[in-house]
Parts: sequence; structure tokens; C-alpha cells
Amino acid sequence: MVNKVEISIIALVLIAIIVSGAALGYSLSILDKLDKLTSNMADLTSSLIDLTGTVADVAEKVGASLDAINEIQSRLEEVESRLMPTITVIGPWSGAEMDKFLPVLARFEALTGINVRYKIYRAEELATLLPAQFATGTAPGDVIFMWGWFIAENAKNGHVMEVTDLIDESKFLSGSLDAVKVNGKFYGCAYTGKVKPGFWYRKSFFAARNLTEPKTWNEFLTLLDTLKAMGFEHPIVSGDEIGWPLSDIAEHFLITYGGPELQLQLIDGTASWTEDSVRGVFENYLVPLLENGYFSEPIEWTTAKDQWWQGDYALYFMGSWITGMVDDPSDLGVFSLPDCEGLVFAADYFFIPKYTQYSDEAKELFKFLASSEAQRLQVAQGGHIATNIEVSLDSYPEVDRRVANLTVGKAVLPDLDDSIGGEFQATFWDQLKLLWVSPQSLDDILRAIEAVAP
Amino acid sequence: MIIFVVFPILNTIYISFLSPEGGFIGLENYAMVIGSKKIFNLEGLPKNPPLGAFVHNMIWILIHLPLSIISGLIFAIILKDVKGSSIVKTLVFLGMVTPMVVGGLIIRYTFEKDVGIVNGLLSLIGLGDLTKSWTAYPDTALFALIFGSVWLWTGFSMILYSAGLATIPKDYYEAAKIDGAGPFKMFFRITLPLLRSITVTVVTMTILYELKIFDIVLVATYGGPGEASSVLAFQMWLYAFRYFQFNKAAVVASLLTILTTIVTIPMIKFMVKR
Repeated sequence: MVNKVEISIIALVLIAIIVSGAALGYSLSILDKLDKLTSNMADLTSSLIDLTGTVADVAEKVGASLDAINEIQSRLEEVESRLMPTITVIGPWSGAEMDKFLPVLARFEALTGINVRYKIYRAEELATLLPAQFATGTAPGDVIFMWGWFIAENAKNGHVMEVTDLIDESKFLSGSLDAVKVNGKFYGCAYTGKVKPGFWYRKSFFAARNLTEPKTWNEFLTLLDTLKAMGFEHPIVSGDEIGWPLSDIAEHFLITYGGPELQLQLIDGTASWTEDSVRGVFENYLVPLLENGYFSEPIEWTTAKDQWWQGDYALYFMGSWITGMVDDPSDLGVFSLPDCEGLVFAADYFFIPKYTQYSDEAKELFKFLASSEAQRLQVAQGGHIATNIEVSLDSYPEVDRRVANLTVGKAVLPDLDDSIGGEFQATFWDQLKLLWVSPQSLDDILRAIEAVAP
Repeated sequence: MIIFVVFPILNTIYISFLSPEGGFIGLENYAMVIGSKKIFNLEGLPKNPPLGAFVHNMIWILIHLPLSIISGLIFAIILKDVKGSSIVKTLVFLGMVTPMVVGGLIIRYTFEKDVGIVNGLLSLIGLGDLTKSWTAYPDTALFALIFGSVWLWTGFSMILYSAGLATIPKDYYEAAKIDGAGPFKMFFRITLPLLRSITVTVVTMTILYELKIFDIVLVATYGGPGEASSVLAFQMWLYAFRYFQFNKAAVVASLLTILTTIVTIPMIKFMVKR
């Protein structure tokens, strides 16, 4: 008989054999899987190795591309800065006058691709700003409009770029470039300018009162008396600011009754303010008009222009820029003092400071502003007279053509105080303001001017 | 402080002893400037301006200082504890917050013949013969600027005095009333003495303002006509930026520094003593 123990043992052995077999089989399958896994891993490793190589290749190529991209970018920036720099022009014009200048700059931009930025600074402000900036070797602009004497003075001190090779003097009004010439070399140029032709009136005003332009000094006095009789306490309004409107009037009298040469002699210091030829002009012509109240007391010049335009005054001595400041330029008439043989032509001068960072581009703009194309574009808008003689009269609006015609047959002269500048200019303006309200102080005034004259 | 204040001051004083070429010339620049009619023009006294920029500044102090102090004190007293006084004080103080350049334009047009309110008032009270553009004439230009400047500066003294009046204990006035003191006695025996430190401050600051006045001169008269309204700071600017005589400008700047120091030291001593 087989006992239970033997049966249990046999069962256990059988179970063990079965479990072992199963385990073996499972192990074999695991092994098989492990083999496959190992094989896969080997494949994977191989692939990774390949991939690494590929990545390395790619990285190498990308690196080269990055370098190329960087180089291309820097070249583009260089080309961009060369092709489209922005240069700064500084000028005194604002409002309506600025609106007439901007198209000229726009034309330059279109022709050259050089961007231009316009900044407004009056000459009085630049006189304060520029010396300090020049002292530090900087400049607020690349092309700057400024008084001619200031340009010449700073050229002597080495702050202004010489531009002789950019200018053909034969293409400009005779003498118009003298203010910016130093020792035979040019340091600036004349853009357009303004004529100071005489006394402006409204044609409708004169027509309504049957008034005509005077042809002699006596006719001029008769006109003024007629206006007084009509109720105009002061027929001529006097503009005021820092003094330049009055100096324009004084110069017109000096040129007319002292002769065009006298203006030049006063500029270069060969004539004295206290000599008879000068004193006589004031004593015999200007002072009597002031003492008899034909001129108003000085009034802020734009207010004076408004009051004159609305009929409070009959006559206004002003520069030709007034044609761009009134509503109806066709109603404007102007006459010089009878027997006048010379007129002041005040050019707007511009220069390139030595400290510009864009000298090539600045020179391009410089040449353009000096050209007949730029000046033709400017004068066509009114209020300007070209200094470039290649600009024909056809380019002007009708009223400015008449103003330009006024210069025909007359000597074209530089502005006296603008040519001398410095302490003389400030004193001249200030003393004339005194003369206007205190004409009996003529001798003291002439002595004060002579004390600071060249 | 050293870079932006001390160095520029010392450098300016140094420049004042140099020629335009840079050489040391001692007191020559000082002699030229002080001897110039632009600074002192006293020939033919008594006469109307121009009298020289330095004298114009002194005239400015002599007229403007008492006027602006007294008017500021009067406003402060009148408006003390009055309903709606803050509105009036604001209006008076407007002058202080107005930019000086705008103030100069306002002064110019205030005294203009045809549109100015001053001439309008003169015509109203039957003094039409006196109407003219005050800033255009040498005998009135400086005074137009001074009177206009009183309006600009009165707000400063008014505000300071208002603050000072608020610190005076009411008990003092009550005690004085009990003793039979009238308003004038209270003002001279209580108010004024207790406002002493405020007055010192107002006087000092006003004199400093009067010495450095520039903007309203530049805008309203440009120092003219015939230098009749020029002042030291304006003359300094002319020397530097119109005549380009920087050494002479440095002389005027140095003189102004000395004058302002003379004015400021007593105030500092007074404050320290307290």
C-alpha cells in the first residue's frame, strides 16, 4: 500500500517539476526577450551613434550657417547705415515758413535716399547753443542755417567744414557769398534770401483812397501828410522785436540817401557813424519823419503786420517774406524810397559743422540746397528770392516776381548788422529802438553805435 | 556738489582774470567791465535811465522790495481767517507759478499802448495823455518791468506771511485787547515783531530774485531801449552769448556771486542765532 506521505511527496515533486518547467519556460521566454532587447539596444546604440554623427554634421552645418547669417546681418546693417542715414538740418523756420521748406527736404530724400530730420532753432538761440557745443567737439545738426558773420567767425576758429569744392561761385548773385568767405575759401553757402524792398501797402487800400506810389521825396512826404489828414495818426507802423525791423528801415534810408557804397563802407569800417555823410541821412530824412509822428512807436512786428493788414496803418516797411504771411498776396504793393539805387538782400546762409558724423551725406545736402533745383522749388512757394542765378523769373509767383524785378538795375547789398554781428549788431538794434522814441538823442545814439563799429 | 557747483564757480572766477587768449591779466577785465557805461552810467545825474545795469538792479531792489513785501503782508492780513480766502490767495499766487518768460510777455502787453490794461486804466481816470507803450521808452521801460515784477512776486511774500500769521497765538491779541490796544498798536507791537524771522527770509529771497532777474528783461524789452532796462544778469548773457566776450561775462558772474553772498550771509547768521 502507498501511504499518504508518499503520495504527497510525489505530488509535490510533480508540482515542483511543473512549476520548474513553467519557470524554465518563462525564463527562457524572458531570456529570449532579453536577447531581443539586447539586440534592440544594440541597434539603438548603433542608431544613436549614427544619429550623433548626423547631429554633429548638422551642428557643423548649422554653425556655419549661423556664422554666415551673422555676417550677412552685419553687412546688411552696414549697407543700411550707408544707404539710409538720417541727417539733421537746423533752420529758423516754423509754421507756414517751415511748411514751405519741408518739400525741398522731401525732394532731397527722394533723390538720394538719405533721410533728413528738420529741427527748429532761431539764430539767437543757436548763438547761445553752438559755442558751448563746438567747445566740446559736438554739433546739434549736420547742416545748420545761421548768420553769415557767425559762420565766418567760427570758420576762423576751426569749427566749420571748408566747402570750397562744393560751390561754383559764378552761379550765385554777385557778392552773395562774401559773408561766408574767409581768406578766399568758402565755409558756407547762401540758400534763398529775402529782399528788403521798401514800404508795403495794400493795393485795395490805396485804390479806395486814390493814392499812388510816390516818385520823389516830396511826393513821399505829401503821401504821408495826406494819410494823416485822412485820420491816420501814424501812417507807417514800426515793427519791433529785438530791433531788426527798425535796422532794416535805417539801412534803407542810408542806402538811398547815402548811396549803396556807404552801406559797404559802414560794414568794413571805412566810414564812421558820426561823419556828416551818415549823420546827414538821419538828420535830414529819418529823424524828421520820426519827430513828426509819421512812424508809430515800435510794436511787436507780427502784431504790427496784423494791424497794418486790417487797415489801422497804411504802410509797413518789411522784408519780402511778408508775401507768405498775408491772406491775399495779390493785394500787396511795395515801393522803395524814391531815388533808391540799392537794396538789401539778406541771404539765409548754411554751413556744415566740422563735428558732423555724416560728412558725405551732409555734403550731398549742402550741394542740393545750393542748387538751382532746390531753390526753384523753394521760390515757387512764395516769400523767397533765389541766390542761384540759374533760377529764372518764371519760377516765382507773381508778387515775388515783382519783388525780384525790383532788384533789377539796383545794387544788391548785404545786410549791415548781419554782416558785422557781435556787439555791434546788438547795440545797433538797441540804439535804433531808442532813436525811434527819442529822435532828439541822435548824436548820443550815433556815438554809441560808432563805439562798437568795426 | 563739487562738480556741479564749486568747480564751475571757481572756474568762472578764474576765467575772469584771463584775457581772451588765455593769459593772466589780473584785474584788467574788472576795470573794463566796471568802468563801462553798460554797468555804471552816472554822467549827467540826475537823469532818466540808462544808468547802468548795476544801478538798475539797485533801483529794482529799492522799489520792488518794499512794494512786494508790503503788498504780500497786506494780502496775508486781509485774507486771514476769511471765507474764500484760498481762492483769492490762489489768484495772487498765480504770478509765482507763471513761467518768467510768460511773465515777461504779459508785462510787455500789459503796458502796451493800444491793448494794455495799464493804459486802459489811465484813460479811464482821465490820464489819457500819459498812455504810451511803457516798455518802448527809456524813462518808463525799467519801471514797467519793476511794477510788473511786483505782481509776479507778491504771491511769495503773501504765502510766507500767511504761514507766519497762523503761528502767532491768539492769546497775545486777546491780552492786548484787554489792555486796550488798538489794531495798529497790536500790529506794530505784536504782529510785526513776531514775523521777524519770516521778514528776514522774505527780504533775503526777494533781493536774491532781484539780483538774478533776467527772463522778463529778455522777453519784454531786451534790455532796451538804449540799455535803459538792462540788468546785471542780462548784461552777463549779452557778454557771453551775443558779444562772445566770455571773460567779461565771467566778471559779471563773479560780481553777482559776491553780491548774492553778501546778501545771504546775514540771513544764515540770523537763522543760526535763532
